[in-house]
Amino acid sequence: MITLSFRIAGGDFDSAGLATRKLKDQLAKLGVDGPALRRAMIAAYEAEMNVVIHARCGTLWARVDETKLDLEVADEGPGIPDVELAMREGWSTASDQARQMGFGAGLGLPNIRRSSDRFQIETRVGRGTLIKSTILFGEAGETQAEPVVVPLGMEGSRCRSCRRCVFACPVGALRVRDSQPLLLDDLCIGCTACIEECPDAVFGIRDSAAALPPIPEGALLLIPRGFLAAFPVRSPLRVLAVFRDLGFAEVRLLDEWDESLLAEARREARSGKLPVPRIPPLCPPAVSLIESRFPSLIPHLSLLRSSAETAGEEFPLRSVFLVAACPGQYAACKRSSLTDRLTVIAPGTLKTAILAHLGALSVERESELIAGPRGTPAPGEAAASGVRGVMRALSTAETGALGEVSVLDLRLCAGGCSASPLICPYPVIAGPAWNVECRGEPAGIAARARPFRQRPGVRLDVDMAQAMLKLSQIDKEIRSLPGRDCGSCGAPSCAAFAEDLVLGRAAQSDCPYRENTP
Amino acid sequence: MKIEDLASAIEARLVVPRGSGNTNIAFVYGGQTMSDLIANAAPDVLLVTSLNNAQLIRVADLMDVPGICLVDGCEPAPELVSHARTAGTALLVSPTGLERTSLKAAECLSREKAHA
Repeated sequence: MITLSFRIAGGDFDSAGLATRKLKDQLAKLGVDGPALRRAMIAAYEAEMNVVIHARCGTLWARVDETKLDLEVADEGPGIPDVELAMREGWSTASDQARQMGFGAGLGLPNIRRSSDRFQIETRVGRGTLIKSTILFGEAGETQAEPVVVPLGMEGSRCRSCRRCVFACPVGALRVRDSQPLLLDDLCIGCTACIEECPDAVFGIRDSAAALPPIPEGALLLIPRGFLAAFPVRSPLRVLAVFRDLGFAEVRLLDEWDESLLAEARREARSGKLPVPRIPPLCPPAVSLIESRFPSLIPHLSLLRSSAETAGEEFPLRSVFLVAACPGQYAACKRSSLTDRLTVIAPGTLKTAILAHLGALSVERESELIAGPRGTPAPGEAAASGVRGVMRALSTAETGALGEVSVLDLRLCAGGCSASPLICPYPVIAGPAWNVECRGEPAGIAARARPFRQRPGVRLDVDMAQAMLKLSQIDKEIRSLPGRDCGSCGAPSCAAFAEDLVLGRAAQSDCPYRENTP
Repeated sequence: MKIEDLASAIEARLVVPRGSGNTNIAFVYGGQTMSDLIANAAPDVLLVTSLNNAQLIRVADLMDVPGICLVDGCEPAPELVSHARTAGTALLVSPTGLERTSLKAAECLSREKAHA
């Protein structure tokens, strides 16, 4: 990490831009170029000009490492009384002198925001303003950090080795060995199949026991609609009142963003330029399933961020808490989060806090809820939910037998996010019971900068020759196994067991039928 | 299209020739605010504007813009000319207004692309 700093003099239009120019020289020496350098220059120059135009003085700090540039521009200026207003294009308080020079068009802050992968403003009236911008040295809009491992948590001590999870997992990522569940992280897609199937509550989101963090003033809460039906009360208004008591200023339902994604998929289908059915990325685990098991359908995925990822990023100036419906959604939002203001929480964390408040609450107050119900698929569209339903729909789509279907709405939880076993224990009422009037602004969509890619799964070996050798060993092991796919060994199939044997994840003695195999 | 050829095609006066670096223009962008100009600046873009101050060169230098074209036949400010020479940024002056100059330059570029 290299840290650079440059002083900026307020009101000095002759020297304005020099700090950014010096930064450019340093970045060039470090090998930063192309679009990343271009975006860095726009963000730094606009932030520097803000200091020159509005403040007495300021400093530009740049912290550079191999993956990103963190810019911070702090000034001693008047501060910004209304940040929301200042972020609007065309709004400015620049002097006439600045306007005559071509500044003060009210585009500076929006330009910085557009050029940044992460953007934040901290300001105090009469004290000054701090602008933070991060530029990632990769594909714009996608973090290049290490992928977040799907946070499927397991309480192994509860496991009774029933092996239901082993067969429920649509990608064969689970084993039971030595009476303990074993997760193959590389394969897990973060759905809730194991959570739903397990009778002993072994599985959950890893941080579900964590306490609810402090809630800043004006915080926004984003939830799947079914979360309102997760509590023993007769009206969602009661739950909404608790949200207010906990400190959330506003609640919005993630269903709104689902509708925007579906609308975009319809538009794509109508364009006639893309393969149909279009599959909007509503459900991150369903997308991962396509990337893992149905890669031929990747071109059918709309190149958009998922509903939850989009919603989490749509309010960069507010503190946002998002309740993830499944480990996959949790991981996707964490991975793609571009703002420090988004806190992704597991449903259990918020449920605990709500249940504690519900006991003390006696008065039902008026609350505002923003969203509408999800309807049935439109003509020419199809929807599938639940692991089996989605697998069948994808198998059918892969053969081309879906015919004229234009949009395919896939949710790996039966009934959608609202009916996730982590969200609502009463899936029958999770969907229709809490329909409420729609009062929200239309939700947005956000493009993905990085295309969907086939997931490689577990690599047999980093060395290609060794991998090929192991492949032939697996083939040999498969031929020596009974082919019953009984699951007694703790793997979902004899083929999976053979792979486990070769990779050292299982012992020959785990198969009770092996001695009798000819 | 070479910046000198484009200047000739739109009947603009070449006040400062391009120094080292790319002299090819593929796009033209006309704007009246610095934010607009920097957001659309690129190493193959000619910026067309009526702004007449040295900050234009700073923007061009930061974004590796090969040239700037002032409009309405205005005389470039001395510090603008001097900064353009130092930075090696070409400086043109067109006799026509922003819209007409931009359109004319864009037509020239698209004609050349069509012939290529």
